[in-house]
Order: sequence, then structure tokens, then C-alpha cells
Amino acid sequence: MTVSAQSIEKDLAELWKAGVEDKAQQLGLQRVYTTNLVAYASDHEEGYRVEQILNDLAEKHPGRYILVRPAADRSEPPLRSYLSGHCLFGAGREKRVCCDLIKLVAQPEIIENLYGFTFSLLMPDLPVEFWWPGDLPYENAFFEKMAQESNRVWVDSSKFKKPVQSLTRLAAFWHSRYPHTFLGDLNWIRIQRWRSLIAELFDGDWSKVLKDIRQVTIEYGEGTQPTRSFFLACWLASQLGWHYLGPRLSEFTDRLTFEATQGNVEIFLKPVPVPDVKRDRIFAVGIATGGGQEGIFTVVRDQDPHCVIARSEVAHKVAFSRTVSFDHLHSNELLALGLKHLEEDPLWKKALAMAGSVLVKPKLTLD
Amino acid sequence: MATAALLENPLRQGLFSDRVPEPCSLVIYGASGDLTHRKLVPALFDLYEKHLLPTSFNLVGISRSKMTDEEFKKHLKESLKQSEPQLSDSLWESFSQNFHYVSGAYDDFKAFQTLSKLLDELDAENGTAANRIFYLSTPPNVFEAIISNLGAAGLNREEKGYARIVIEKPFGHDLGSAKELNRRVKEVFKENQIYRIDHYLGKETVQNLLVMRFANSIFEPIWDRRHVDHVQITACEDLGVGSRAGYYESSGVLRDMFQNHLFQVMCLIAMEPPVTYEANAIRDEKLKILKSIRPFEDRTLSQFAVRGQYGPGYLAGARVPGYRQEEGVNPKSITPTYAAIKVFLDTWRWHGVPFLLRSGKRLPKRATEVAIQFKEPPNLLFKSNVTDLSPNVLVVRIQPDEGITLKFETKVPGMTMEAKTVNMDFRYGTTFAEGTSEAYERLLLDCMLGDATLFIRGDETEAAWEALMPVLNRWETTEPEGDFPNYEAGSWGPAAADQMLEKPWRKWRRL
Ligand SMILES: NC(=O)c1ccc[n+]([C@@H]2O[C@H](COP(=O)([O-])OP(=O)(O)OC[C@H]3O[C@@H](n4cnc5c(N)ncnc54)[C@H](OP(=O)(O)O)[C@@H]3O)[C@@H](O)[C@H]2O)c1
Repeated sequence: MTVSAQSIEKDLAELWKAGVEDKAQQLGLQRVYTTNLVAYASDHEEGYRVEQILNDLAEKHPGRYILVRPAADRSEPPLRSYLSGHCLFGAGREKRVCCDLIKLVAQPEIIENLYGFTFSLLMPDLPVEFWWPGDLPYENAFFEKMAQESNRVWVDSSKFKKPVQSLTRLAAFWHSRYPHTFLGDLNWIRIQRWRSLIAELFDGDWSKVLKDIRQVTIEYGEGTQPTRSFFLACWLASQLGWHYLGPRLSEFTDRLTFEATQGNVEIFLKPVPVPDVKRDRIFAVGIATGGGQEGIFTVVRDQDPHCVIARSEVAHKVAFSRTVSFDHLHSNELLALGLKHLEEDPLWKKALAMAGSVLVKPKLTLD
Repeated sequence: MATAALLENPLRQGLFSDRVPEPCSLVIYGASGDLTHRKLVPALFDLYEKHLLPTSFNLVGISRSKMTDEEFKKHLKESLKQSEPQLSDSLWESFSQNFHYVSGAYDDFKAFQTLSKLLDELDAENGTAANRIFYLSTPPNVFEAIISNLGAAGLNREEKGYARIVIEKPFGHDLGSAKELNRRVKEVFKENQIYRIDHYLGKETVQNLLVMRFANSIFEPIWDRRHVDHVQITACEDLGVGSRAGYYESSGVLRDMFQNHLFQVMCLIAMEPPVTYEANAIRDEKLKILKSIRPFEDRTLSQFAVRGQYGPGYLAGARVPGYRQEEGVNPKSITPTYAAIKVFLDTWRWHGVPFLLRSGKRLPKRATEVAIQFKEPPNLLFKSNVTDLSPNVLVVRIQPDEGITLKFETKVPGMTMEAKTVNMDFRYGTTFAEGTSEAYERLLLDCMLGDATLFIRGDETEAAWEALMPVLNRWETTEPEGDFPNYEAGSWGPAAADQMLEKPWRKWRRL
């Protein structure tokens, strides 16, 4: 049977009808959609990973989820669709709130052209979010059309296999090429708690020492590209008005030099050995100030794996120390946080522009 | 580089936690009590976890019980573990590092001098900049002593930092005592230093009433006497009086629920759009509503107010005692545990629209909601189904299962024009991935930020008492009409409440 938008909607209606009539459950089902989220996986492995994430997300944030992924082998039909329903309990536990995931599995010759079909499956009047989980493509019709039609495109710069290339292209071309489409980065949400902990150290009178920062060390799990640490550095520099001094980079280095009003600031990105699963995670941030008051401001992971400690020591005396919970956020949680507000974070735009001024200019455009 | 920007913290910009208050000390009177352990400290912990507590923050607990700092912290930790079973030692140590305890009587001036000295020391040590909040979490009989001693010790002054006072409910026992308490507190603090708590206003869904009304354009044109038949505001609970018999015997349901929570919710539903979203602009509009309540007259009171008290009954299959059999309750008590009141607001917008307010204990379930019932269509087109048509109702559920439901008619599939009522539902808990915050969390944060929008102004409190006094006076000086208790635990309240609805199409909602 050919797959059509009508046949999918009909099958979904049947699926939910069966659920409502399931008297054994004695529970009402209610379909709720708060957004459309379309994800495109470029290969089978990525498709599997993204599907898991969408399954988890659908169980905490109801929406119309659509995943487009390539078929596992050539023997499969050109296009197949799989539907699944996902329910969560409302606070009253009287009714279950449900939404659906439509999975379109296609052969390579047609997959990129499925954008029109995908449009026909979107819920009207709801925002369209498009998640591109891998590196930015150079030529992909699906990406191109979705980026034009969506309200926002999500990437995850920490998952880029070629982060420097992808970041430089984003910084150089995104906003001119897609002026009406917001851009979001899960990696930016991931480092939000680090930003917030660092910011806390400089509240009140301590904000006066920000101008005296001389050195920043960001430790991250070795063995991969330090995209999180790099973004953290770009955020610091852009918020504090520093200018990059070094040569433009075609790959990440372990040292970045910036010019501030009261002298230069060195930022070290320092890999530290850690078990494989924690690669690229930030482990500690240390900020040293000079000037009249020498101080060390740190945010470090605690021995308790669920906590970090934010601490400042000025003139060898502890000025502030605070331990807070810090659990790892999974991609579905990052997406759930990101989907909460439909807007582009102006700080992320500034940090991205800073990244663009540090990294080498791209030779190729998004085309 | 913009050096001016560095005077503030540019790293805070754009962060979720950019609404962080200035460093401060919070002094809680009655810190050995239930509210501190069950609500205030857990709310502070949530703020801490969300990075919304100021970086320099002292908590000073005061009550008569003898305790060291360490014992105080130990008790708080044990209570916090009830709501945060995963709480680790390092997290607790860090959160509670600046917690202190002072033992002293509320009328002992020396204890206030000790406190003053301690606060100065803590300011010097922790950089809390003489910003102080005094939270009265004691029974109200000691409020006045605490307030006058705070004044005598100079702790009301705002020379170096701010001084704010938070006053728990109940604010007064009647109009006279509320006026007196207002007078006493205003002798010591200015109105903008006073934060009178009604924790209902801290609830997300109560605040959403404002957003729903004033951030949407579709409701405003139908929000008046031409379209609304009546409004029902219900706050019911399945619990009985429990261990609070002492308090409840002298308070009853009118003081406990109507004077504050239900009247406040009614104000948010009925008020005119404020000019700005600012504390006084909103409170001015609420005050107008409270002042527009048509006075209850003694001779017709029974048509406007019905009281009830629960007798023994069944809840969830278990036998439960009646109010008079509860421990600490006078076996002949006439304290109402249920009340239903019909309020008319003499305003242009609401003239003639009854606001039906009810609240009670030992009703079948715990629920709070507002239901706006619209008028029937003027011309019933589908005559064959006249009896089946039910009016449109917009329901705002405040707790539990917070959300909004619109009831409307739709055609039943088939060859006839049969209509059926269906619900269009929005649920808070599912649309937003994040849960709603506890009321005290929001209120504590707002107080630290100096935002009094969700607190009650002195004149509002007095206007609410004034409106309620005729009912209170009558009920406290006369025996109930008919038998008391007059409803069984586990039922929806006394039958007499149905009679005040006047029109056959008006019925109390079954929640
Ligand atoms: N608990 C709640 O859920 C709740 C909800 C809304 C409003 N409130 C209001 O918040 C305030 C505190 O409530 P709570 O439940 O924490 O009260 P509580 O436990 O009864 O009292 C708080 C503390 O006040 C002291 N105290 C008790 N009776 C006293 C008396 N007769 N004279 C002087 N001091 C006395 C006790 O400390 P010491 O003996 O050590 O001095 C007690 O630990 C009250 O005004 C209450 O109406 C409470």
C-alpha cells in the first residue's frame, strides 16, 4: 500500500480509537500537541539514536514528532511509515495525555525529497521545530526546505564531527541566509548551568573584579573536540567585551588570547583524562584575577557525581562557596528545555559571532 | 569595553537566573514550627537549587524552644528529607552554611537586641548588606509583640539596606482586629515594607488567571453580565480538621478560606484590567471589587449564605468522625466547616451576576477551581434536543491537575441534529515539561526582590473583612437554622446550599 498523509492520519485515528476503547485501562486518553518537531537522521545509526531521544521526549512533552531516516538496506520498499503513540499521566492521573511519533523510513533516492510529504503531516497552527542532529550538510534539499519553512532549527554543536567547519559556517551564513528562522544549539543549553554558576561568583561587589580577569582555565574530558569549553570561552569573551588576538583557527587549540581593557586574558582549554563516556564534558572552570585583589573563582565537579562546587578565594580567604546539584542532562531533556520558549537566545548569537571571529573564515557557504 | 556595564554583573544577562535578589538575611519567627519545616525551608531549598537564592544569604530562626544552631539545622534537614529524599550531605551543608538559631520569647526585648547584634555580625561576615526580611510564622497572638519589639530595636529602619516584614495569615480575626493589626504594623513599618501573605496568590494557576484574561483578546468581550450567567468558585477538601482543631474552632471556614483565598480569586476574575502590571495598579483594581461587594443584610442573609458542619460519614470507604467528635473540638461546636455564599458585585460589568463561592472540609475530594458559566444561546435552534443542551462553561482548575477546560456543544455523528457536550482541555502539567513551582517559593523570591504584586495591601484586607462581617456576626451569635451537623462527611455539603442558586439551570458543579 502506498504511504500517504491521509493513510497515516487514518491509522493514527484508529490507533487512538483503540486506546480510548481499551476499557481494561479505565482511563481516558487525550491527544495533546504543543509543537511540531521534525528530525532528520542521515544514517541508520543516527536514526536509531534520534528515535530513542524522540521516544523519551514524547513522554514528557506532547507534540507531533516526525522522524525521517534512511532505510537499513536496499531490499526495503522506497518509503515506509511507522506510527507510535506515547502517553504520560496528567497530574490528576485521571486522564492520560498522549501524542504521536511518525517515523518515515526511506531509500536514499527519495529521502531528501520527503519535505513536501513532511509538511503535509504537520499539525496546523503550531510552531515547527526542525532538529538536525549531525554536522551541517553542504547540499541537502530536505534541510534547505525545512530550514526555510520552520520556526527554528536545532543543531547540537557538541555532536558535530567537524565542529570547526560547521560552527564557522553557522557563524558566517546562518542569519543572512535564513533571516526568518531561529537557530538553537543543544550544546548552548547544555552549558547554561555552567554559565549560571560562573555568573553567580561575580554577583554584587564581585562584579568589579571582572575587569581584572587575567586567566581562565576550562578542563574537559580528553579524547574529543572541546566544543562545550570553546563555547563557554566564547560566551565569557562576548559578555565581557574581549577581542580575540590570536590567529584564526582551523582547529581548536588549547590556548586563546583575548584583549581586554586592562590587559590580555588567556583562556586555556585543558583536556583531562576521564572514562570514555564523559568525553567533552566540562570538569572545572578556574578564573584568576589580577589587579589589586588576586582571586581564584572556580566551579568544579564534586566527588559526589551529582554535585558541583562554586567557590571563590580572594587574598587566600574563601569568599564564597556553594555546592549545588548537577545531574547530567540527556538530549531529550535539553530539547524539552529548548522547546519551552520559541525565541532565539541573543547571547547565543553573540557567542556564535565570537566563535566566528576566532575560527577561520569558511571557504564554502551553506550551498 | 563598556565599564558601566561592569558595575552590574554582565555574566548574569540572559540567564534564567537573572532575577536573583540582592544579598539578604531572612529572619523567621516561629522557626520551630510546622510552616517553617514543611513549606518555607523546602521553598528556600528549591530557590537554592534553581540558583535564585542570593549568593550571600543568612537564615536566622527564632522561637522560644531551646536549640543550638546545630540542632536547629538537624531538625530542618530531617524535615527537608521528607520532600527531598535524595538530599546529599554536601548539598545540605552548603545550603545551610549560614543558618542560625536564636532562642527567645517574642515579647522579650533582649532577644531582639541579641538578634540585631547577630544580624550586624552576619552582614559584616557574609556581605548581606543590612537587607533584612522578618517573617512572622507564629500564631497571630504574638504578631503585635514581635512587631513592636522590632521597632523598638530599630530593626524596621532602612538606613543601610531594606527591612521588610512578612505577615502570615490570618491577618486579624475580624474587621476590628485587622484594623488594629494594620495600625500597629504601620506604626513601625511603612506600607511598602509590609508583605501580607495569601499563599493562593503564589500559585501558578492563580497568576495564570491574569495572563488568561489580559494576554488574550477573546475573553474580554464576553467577560461581563451580558454573557456570563454566573461564576462558581470552589475550594473543597476531603481532609477534616486534623490536628488544627484549636485554630479551627476559633476561625471556621469563613476566616480560613473566604476572607482571603476565595475573595482574592474572585477579585482576579472580576477586576478591571489594571493600567500596568505593577503591585499598586493591580491592588487598586482588586480593592474596587472588594468594595463593590453588595452588603449582606441580616434579614435576607439565609438566601445569600449557607453554613454547614460535617457529621460522621465515609471517605474512600473508611468511616470518619464528625467535626464534633474530632479531638480538641467542643462537642457542641457551631463552628462552620462548610460555607456557600452568593456575592453580587455592584459594578457596571458584573451587575446582577452571582458569584457563588463555596468551601468545605470533608467533601468528597480536594479541588479548587473557578467556573464561568455563560448564558444559553438566545434562540434554541435544535428544538428536539433542547433538554440536552448545556451552557458553555470555562473552568480554570487551580488544584490539582491545573489547567483550563472549555465545555461546548458539538454534533453527534449521525442523521439527526443531536448535540453533545464535550470538553476542550488544556493541562498545565503536560503542556509545559516543567512542573509548577510551590507557592511559597514564588512569594519568598518576590519578597526578596521587593515585588509586592502577589501580596495583599492593608486596605484590601480591611475591605474583605468588612464585606464578610455581617455573615460572621450572624453565624457567631445565632444557633444554626435546622440541625447541625447538617452534612455527612464524604458528601457535597448541606442541601440548603442548593436553594440559594435561585434559577433551575444553576447547579453546584460536581467536581
Ligand atoms: N502550617 C501551615 O501549613 C500554614 C499554612 C498557612 C498559614 N499558616 C500560618 O503560619 C503561621 C505559622 O504556622 P505554623 O503551622 O508553623 O504554626 P505552629 O507550628 O503552631 O507555630 C509556630 C511556632 O510558633 C510558636 N508558638 C506556638 N504557639 C504559640 C503561642 N501560643 N504563643 C507563642 N508562640 C507560639 C512555636 O514555637 P516556640 O514554642 O518554639 O516558640 C511554634 O513552633 C500561623 O500564623 C499560621 O496561621 C500556616
